[in-house]
Amino acid sequence: MKVTAVIINLLYFLALAPFLEGVMRKLTARIQSRQGPPLYQPYLDLLKLLGKENLNAAGHPVFRLAPLLAFASILSAIALLPLAGQSSFLAHSSDLMTLIYFLTLSGFSILIGALASGNPFAGVGASREMMTIIMLEPVLAMTLILGVVRAGSLNLLTATAGVSSARGLSYFLMMAVYLVALQAFVSRQPFDIPEAEVEILEGPYIEYSGPNYALFRYTLNLKRMFYSWLFVVGFLGFWLPGSPVLNLVVQTVLILVLFVLISVVGATHPRFRMDQALRFYAALVLLSLVAVGLGVRGW
Amino acid sequence: MSRGEELVRWLEKELGGNFISAEATIPGRLFIDLKREALSAAAAGLMNRGARYQVGVGYDARKSGQGFGLVHTFAFDKDSLLVALRTFAPGDDPEFDSLTPLIPGAGWSEREYQDLLGLKFRDHPNPRRLVLSDDWPEGIYPLRREVPHDLMPPAAEEVAFRLDEAPPGTSIVPFGPFHASLHEPAHFSVYVDGEDIKGCEYRGFMTHRGIEKLAQTELTYNDVPFVAERICGICGSVHSVNYAQAVEAAAGLRIPRRAEFIRMVALELERLHSHLLWLGVAGHLIGFDTVFMQAWRIREKIMWLAERLTGNRKTYGMVIIGGVRRDINQDRSEDIRAVLKEVEREMLALEKAILKDRTIHRRTRGVGYLSREEAVKWNLIGPVARARGVDIDARRDHPYAAYDEVQFEVPLADSGDVWGTLVVRVKEVYEAIKIINQCLDKLEKLPKNQPLAVDLEGPIPSGRQGLSLVEAPRGEAVHYVLTGEDNRPERWRVRAPTYPNLQAVPSMLLNNKLADFPIIVGSIDPCISCTDRVLVVERSSGKAKLLSRQELENLSRGKRSKK
Repeated sequence: MKVTAVIINLLYFLALAPFLEGVMRKLTARIQSRQGPPLYQPYLDLLKLLGKENLNAAGHPVFRLAPLLAFASILSAIALLPLAGQSSFLAHSSDLMTLIYFLTLSGFSILIGALASGNPFAGVGASREMMTIIMLEPVLAMTLILGVVRAGSLNLLTATAGVSSARGLSYFLMMAVYLVALQAFVSRQPFDIPEAEVEILEGPYIEYSGPNYALFRYTLNLKRMFYSWLFVVGFLGFWLPGSPVLNLVVQTVLILVLFVLISVVGATHPRFRMDQALRFYAALVLLSLVAVGLGVRGW
Repeated sequence: MSRGEELVRWLEKELGGNFISAEATIPGRLFIDLKREALSAAAAGLMNRGARYQVGVGYDARKSGQGFGLVHTFAFDKDSLLVALRTFAPGDDPEFDSLTPLIPGAGWSEREYQDLLGLKFRDHPNPRRLVLSDDWPEGIYPLRREVPHDLMPPAAEEVAFRLDEAPPGTSIVPFGPFHASLHEPAHFSVYVDGEDIKGCEYRGFMTHRGIEKLAQTELTYNDVPFVAERICGICGSVHSVNYAQAVEAAAGLRIPRRAEFIRMVALELERLHSHLLWLGVAGHLIGFDTVFMQAWRIREKIMWLAERLTGNRKTYGMVIIGGVRRDINQDRSEDIRAVLKEVEREMLALEKAILKDRTIHRRTRGVGYLSREEAVKWNLIGPVARARGVDIDARRDHPYAAYDEVQFEVPLADSGDVWGTLVVRVKEVYEAIKIINQCLDKLEKLPKNQPLAVDLEGPIPSGRQGLSLVEAPRGEAVHYVLTGEDNRPERWRVRAPTYPNLQAVPSMLLNNKLADFPIIVGSIDPCISCTDRVLVVERSSGKAKLLSRQELENLSRGKRSKK
């Protein structure tokens, strides 16, 4: 039964993530006075890519390995999640640190894939991606640590619930920081800098095509959904009903609302330059540290 | 005494026996013939008197026994005067003084004729082979009379242009030949240190179509406007009107007033949709696709309007020598007014959104900066120059068609960066709307059902020179026509506005961030296909090692002999 819960976890994410991208694309299109693709378009895109010949453009085994590693690590991260307020079957052998490791590994896989491709645009994209990971990972960690401080446990269920257990100054500050960082977590404007199509032609992914690329796309979709999910469960967890089914429904609706927000912000902002974004990220990291400090003081 | 008379008097005195003749064909044009020994002295004198260099025109005049002709044109913007200096060199000794050491903007023109006509330029600082493709055989000069227009030498395999090595401490990021931010083929080899741009090498002119040669060998006077219109994918009428004006000036034709206003409507409609296109592209280049989509949605109304007026979204096919082909009647006039009103309203909303957006300010202010002095030194034109406080606009300074009868402002900015070009272009949209409305007022008052074009009374005499300017959306376009026999021009030279503006891009890029590359190149609104009538190579950062002409030859020969 508990294993089934993990499978449901994975299926829920795998099934919904491309749909959320569809929502984002449709909304962006409407804001731009366009018709936009149907909501199910991302599924077709993935299917199409998966059906193509798998080219190893760089001729390097790492190039082929990177998308698999990225996809596998994001799936592993998802398998640990306490979906619908239920602790994961894997919770006894994992905790918050494991989650952070898997997330970092997934970002790291994109880096090594980009570097293995040997393309100068991928190189620039990788260096931008690396800076983003270095600057933003602490914001994610601090959010979870705030929960740990509150709950006194590294268990994922209690830690995520801990974030919103007391809604004082630290809670609101961290929520604001996370909301801004979310736009960068999901790499949408103004923070889609590592991919920046007109500058570096999708950066890390430039040499990727077919199934390899499909895996990266899917990873990105899952990641976006994960970060939105974390916001909903972490900061709005106190809202969620106790019944697992109802809980899941409310979660899904809230994630959708969050995606609407992401799309609107993305469609109404130009892209920052890396140096401008870095200053922004630095402020976010500092503020998240302050929030944890406040949390420790019990504010 | 007018500026023209003063110049002639000075040249006569200064050059003595080297001065041959001067002719003022129409007001505002002065054609001067010199002996070639006096060319540098005369050009230096003009520059010292505040002239702005425009373009060089070389042509093959061996049939008439004059050898090779070379014309340099200069503009005195304050005095509404264009001066053309012409010299000849014998066919067996086609060597001229290079003006490039004096006027950097002359470099491209001279290198063009080095390859197309086999002219030689003494003391040219950078006499690299540049006009022809890398596998074009030595010793064949395509603009010479004996070379047929459809000559296709066999392509050589594996002959590639050798780009310079990156300066130490930098690496190369190749923007081109095809890149998402360049909408036409061009190659910028950008030297970066981290994300800082430390220099760049430009290699362009990959879409050479030999249009000038075609006009001189295959087409007739009245065919050319339709080909000229196809030089550019956006501002076609600029080239057809410009060519027609040059021929009309040479032939001494005066076209109906009504036709002049109709030409102006076509030109200003093009400016409108071109600026909206640029605004959209600029948005796209800084990752703001909503601006892109909205600007193009507004632009679409103008495209549909153009289709109703002329039958085409662009490439209007309106211009012939002596006038235009279609009238703008009352119905169409009202249609235009309605569309313009709508466009103006939507544009105001878009402008408000753009000017208020702080991120757009951050991405464009101080980016691609070039000082006013640099802008003058490189002879920059159009919005690129006006964003740097250089107050020039051919519509006001050298009025053509009926621009002297309409009122409009020439918007200026002094920030010298991408933001300045954005502001200038947005303001010009409103000025274009103002001009079109005034044209429509005049058209409604002018007598109707009159012929829209004058007929030629006889063949256009050969050997006459015509020089015309049109302020294209990107800046001043220059057309030079020398009339010839067989009902076609002896020489027709097109200088698109991107030609001078592109030469300054490497200076604009220096010490900016890689992420700003697309918007900086985009800020000049480069029209590669206009510029690429011929093929040119330009080296820029000044630090990198140059490949000499001889080295390049050895390179291509070495490769070929291996086969």
